[in-house]
Amino acid sequence: MSLSLLVQALLNGFGLAMAYVLVALGLTLIFSILEIINFAHGEFYMVGAFVAYLAFGVWGLPYVVALLAAIVCVAAAGVVAERLVFRHLCGKTLNAFIVSLGLLWVMQAAAQLVFGVQDKSVPSAFSGIVRFSGVVISVERLAVTLAAAALIVALYAFLEHTRTGRAMRATAQDADAAALLGVNIEAVSAFGFGVGCGLAGASGALLAPIFSVSPSMGELPVVKAFIIIIIGGMGSLPGAVLGGLLLGALEGVGTLFFSSAAVNLLGFLMVIAVLLLRPRGLLGGT
Amino acid sequence: MAPRHAAVSPLLALGLLALAGVVLPLVTRDSYYLDVATTIVMSLLLTMSLRMQISTGQLNMAHISFMGIGAYTSALLAMRAGLSFWLTLWVGALVAAAFAVPIGAIALRLTGPYYFLITFAFSEVARLIFNNFFVDLLGGPSGLVEIPPPGPLLGVAFTGKLELYCLMLALFLFGAAILVRLEYSRFGLAGGAIRQGELLSATLGVDVLRYKLTAFVLGSAMAGIAGGFFAHSHRVLHSSDFGLEPMVRLVIFTVIGGVGSIWGPVIGTVLMTVASELMRELRHYETLVFGLVLILTMLFLPDGLVSVPSRLVRALARTRARRGVIGVDVAT
Repeated sequence: MSLSLLVQALLNGFGLAMAYVLVALGLTLIFSILEIINFAHGEFYMVGAFVAYLAFGVWGLPYVVALLAAIVCVAAAGVVAERLVFRHLCGKTLNAFIVSLGLLWVMQAAAQLVFGVQDKSVPSAFSGIVRFSGVVISVERLAVTLAAAALIVALYAFLEHTRTGRAMRATAQDADAAALLGVNIEAVSAFGFGVGCGLAGASGALLAPIFSVSPSMGELPVVKAFIIIIIGGMGSLPGAVLGGLLLGALEGVGTLFFSSAAVNLLGFLMVIAVLLLRPRGLLGGT
Repeated sequence: MAPRHAAVSPLLALGLLALAGVVLPLVTRDSYYLDVATTIVMSLLLTMSLRMQISTGQLNMAHISFMGIGAYTSALLAMRAGLSFWLTLWVGALVAAAFAVPIGAIALRLTGPYYFLITFAFSEVARLIFNNFFVDLLGGPSGLVEIPPPGPLLGVAFTGKLELYCLMLALFLFGAAILVRLEYSRFGLAGGAIRQGELLSATLGVDVLRYKLTAFVLGSAMAGIAGGFFAHSHRVLHSSDFGLEPMVRLVIFTVIGGVGSIWGPVIGTVLMTVASELMRELRHYETLVFGLVLILTMLFLPDGLVSVPSRLVRALARTRARRGVIGVDVAT
């Protein structure tokens, strides 16, 4: 096997993995702040894709505008979900998890009623390919990877260097202590849920031109995101990035040797192994 | 502590349930109603066994997979080895239980969110294997077809809807009797204690892991029985029968009724299956309504419909106390 083939496989794997890392970062952010496992997180990704489909595919707005619209709309939807539903279930992990299963059904059914069950396609915003010593990447996938990376950096800067970001990190570490020190944890929870969902929405808008858009499209990325955050450590943001890169490498290289079903199986076996050997994940706290 | 010794004695309630099951075919022999009733009784075996597991506070997202293991085992033994359904049904349940021992021992070391996720991972592994691996044996994406129906037993041919209904009713009552017997024993008390305070019950000498593993394996065997019946009555198996959607359906049936009582899943399963049949024409609305009902139940009635009477009694007592009919405040 030539080196360029391996590099090509790795790049293919990483390209999509970066977009899934966005979904995973939102999921892990929400878990760290509210201790809620939101199984309906993929549905926020789906809503983001539909916003991009409407704004870019149907109304013909510029792609960047469609991406921003997707982030804002989905973040707003996330804040509403937190205010109406999840806020009342804080600390009740089992009940919150069951509610998220209900929310998954509600959002999928609502999307089916509004948009129908047929797959929608979104035109590509970028065309052409880049060749680099035997390795071929489409500009579209490169743009998705770069945009996802830029959003990850933006999230990091926001959490590290803004007052709200610090409040979110403090709440994640110890909500009671943060509240004692004057952090409005209710507002932080709602905002954090919104940011987490907004990231999923961004991912949906980025991948909409690559995959077809449909009400059930959120099922795959949410499963990938769960794999990523379990490997990296639930609640750990660097862990989500590391987990995403590992999963991307596994899927990219794995498809050279195995069927796609076997690669999916490998992902789940990796999850089971990590949960057994190191339940807090690779970069999770002790 | 929730009242364990409810107003209705458990044996009487089980008897009433059996009576209702037996009376139904005397009222109607309509094949549609018999079909719905069979589905309800089969789901009841699944939801009551799932409730036994949830009652410790841990939701097993792989419950449906053990139904799948029972279904595939029973169907394959009947199709490939030509064994009788009356044997393969029990082998299927045993194989499901045999898988449950190591999987439970692994998964139950984790708690809370990690437990939901590892059981979900196991269920996805099972679904992927049913769908993509050993295609010659398991049928791959097209599944298994032409599974033989149960053969005749004691001169009764199990080809009609009525016979199948009676068979599933008997299997369900067998499982329910075990669950009721356990619920009102030391075993059930231990389960309630774990639900209310896992650490405390461990310090008081409850072997928490052993209890949970027993509930996991026993529940999986019951799911395996339901799976065996499903395989030979539907006569077609598909990996999606054991995916996330039917699992969520089981969760909805179970928690809407309420997991605090053994009768909660009965209420939830009967009510939601009938509702589902009434909404059959409205395809997308069905999941919309089910999801909304689930969310609203968890928000406003987290102990399920089964808790409504005791809530009403308490509310009534509060009002009376406030009015001064009873001198002392008996609220809560």
